[in-house]
Formats: sequence, structure tokens, C-alpha cells
Amino acid sequence: MKDDYLWDKSGEPDPEVQQLEEILGTLRYQPRPLEIPDDLIVQRRRNYFPLLAIAATFVIALLAAGLWYRAASQKSAAPLEAQVEQPAPAPTVQQRPEDKTLATENHGPSPLPRVPPRKTQPANSVAFNGKRHNRASAPVLTAAQEKEAEEAKAQLLMALRVASEKLNLVQRKTQGAGGPNQIRNQHKIG
Amino acid sequence: MYECEATADLLLMTPQAKTSPAPESRETSIEAVLVKAVLEGDREGFGRLHDLYAPLVHGILLSRVPRAEVDDLVQDIFLHAFKKLHTLRDWGAFGPWIAMIARNRAMDFHRRHRETVEVTEDLRSSDTSINKATEILELITGLPAAYHETLILRLVEGMTGPEIATRTGLTPASVRVNLHRGMKLLREKLSFKENT
Repeated sequence: MKDDYLWDKSGEPDPEVQQLEEILGTLRYQPRPLEIPDDLIVQRRRNYFPLLAIAATFVIALLAAGLWYRAASQKSAAPLEAQVEQPAPAPTVQQRPEDKTLATENHGPSPLPRVPPRKTQPANSVAFNGKRHNRASAPVLTAAQEKEAEEAKAQLLMALRVASEKLNLVQRKTQGAGGPNQIRNQHKIG
Repeated sequence: MYECEATADLLLMTPQAKTSPAPESRETSIEAVLVKAVLEGDREGFGRLHDLYAPLVHGILLSRVPRAEVDDLVQDIFLHAFKKLHTLRDWGAFGPWIAMIARNRAMDFHRRHRETVEVTEDLRSSDTSINKATEILELITGLPAAYHETLILRLVEGMTGPEIATRTGLTPASVRVNLHRGMKLLREKLSFKENT
């Protein structure tokens, strides 16, 4: 019972505890009003949730934009890969009919065969992996085209030979040696 | 003796379990309401918190620092608490929070004013009742640390055991053990003093 009084002041009072309470009660807290200075302001708890939400939104938007840009660049690069230009066929020399007659009959100066200008690959013909396609594969020709090409080649060689002969002749005339080519004769003799 | 002290220390440091029913949950909710009001700018709410908890802080300081310094320290502690109230996470735990501030401030006081303490201890009042009370208070503060705070809150500030448990955040069982063992030791000291 006395223990109850010490615990919660209930039950039979303990005279010794009561005496101590009376003596020590003189030291009890004397209420004083708390004077809070006017310039003292209680700080509010910083709520970082809105800032975090904004930052997270910004990061997600950046990621989405990056993914979209990558997907878009892949889409635009795919047609480039598909449109890689086929290697241009080797230039074929087609002698015009008038040139042929000149070369065979008149022995006149045969014009040089016209070579179509070489097509340069566009700068955007770069594959997605960044390597430039520079394939120089042989053109695929049909048998008729091959025959025609062989004939053109023979005609070209003939025209070159005729032109060479004509140049030699002009050279001899300008040097005043109307006779036969001695060097050639010597060569023949030798 | 040592075993007793160790047990008491352990009990003193045992916080109140959250699962146990709070006998004075109404008061806890009042604390939370007051803290919320203060954080929203109600300065008078802090005055009410001061009225509720000033005896607790006074008792804690009385068991640790010279009596002449206690009143000023109580004011300082409450002003500090007002500034730092936004750091209190559990608004219902205002009591244990300010009790911890008071203990820390008492330790700081001893670090800074060691020499001053010796001088002020010698200043005696002419009032005999005060002198007697001061003598008994010295006997209580001479008890193991686990007991003197609880005894002073009970005998000086007039708080009951359940009140001490609620406001300091200790379990009622540990407060009860500290009260009974501390009272037993105090009786032994008082009888020894009377015999001599």
C-alpha cells in the first residue's frame, strides 16, 4: 500500500515520503511565463517532396526525349542502308557511227571516246555503322553487252593505232626526213 | 549493489514500447496538436507546451546542475526547442525530445562552467527549509544516476510515476523500479545521516 503512494499517490500515505515531499517541495518549479523574442521565428519543416517530384519529372522527360530521338534517328538511318547505291557499271565506250567511219576510212584524228562523268557517292550514303560502302565489284553484263564491249575495245585500239601512225607521219614531215623511218628500218634490220 | 545499478540503468534506458497501450494517449494527442499549431505559427501554443513540460525540464536540470542555474537554463532550453521544433518528427514525443535536450544542455553546462559550479554550490540561503531541502537534494544527486532523476521528479516536482513515464518516454515498469530502489537507497542514506 505504501508502495502505491510512492508510485501514484494512491493508497495509504507513507509519512516518510510525505515529509520528503514537503521539504523538497520548496525547490519545486515556480511557474514563469516564457518570453519568446519577437525576432525568434519557428522554422517550418522543409518539404522536399515537390522539388523531388519536379526533378523526377524532368529526368523522366529527358530520358523519354533521348529515347525518342534515338528511335527517330534509327528510323531515318534505315532507309539510307536500304538505298545504298549499286556500284555504277564500268564506263562503256560506245563509238558513234560517224567516229567509226572516221577511224576506218579517213584515218583522221579520232575523237576520244566520251566517258560519262563518274558519279560520286553522296555524302549521306554512309551506312548506319559509319563505314563507307566502297564496293568496286565487276558490272554484271549480258553476253550481248560483253560482245559489244569487246568490239568497242577493238575499235578503240584501232583508232589509237591510226592516230599514232598519223602522229609519226607528221613528225617525220616536220623533221624533213621524207624517207622511210631509219630508226624503224634499223630496228627492222637489227 | 552493482547488479542493482546495472538493472536500473537498463530499465532507465528502456523506451516505452509503441505497442503497449498508452495510458495518457489523450495528453499525447494534445502535445501533437500543440506542436502542429506552433509549427503553423501559433506562438501561444508553445506557451502551453512550456507550462506542461517546464516542471519536467526543471526536475531534470535540478538533478544535474546547481540550483541557481536551473531557472535560466529552463528558459534557454525552451527557446532552443522553439527554434528547433521543426526537427521534431514525432509530434507526440515532445516530452522525451525536450527531456533529451535538457540532459544534453546539463552536460554542456558542466563542460563550460566547471569552476563556476564550485563557487555557486557554496552559496547557501539563510532560509533553513531551503537549506534542509538542498541537503536532501545533494543526497539524492549522490545516488546512482539511474535513480536521482526519477526521484527528483517524484519528490520535488510532485509528478506521479505514470506521469513521469509518459513525459520522459520511459516504460512505467522501469520508472517504478527506479522509484522504489532509489527510495530505498535514500532512506538508508537518511538514516545513516541521522545516526551520525
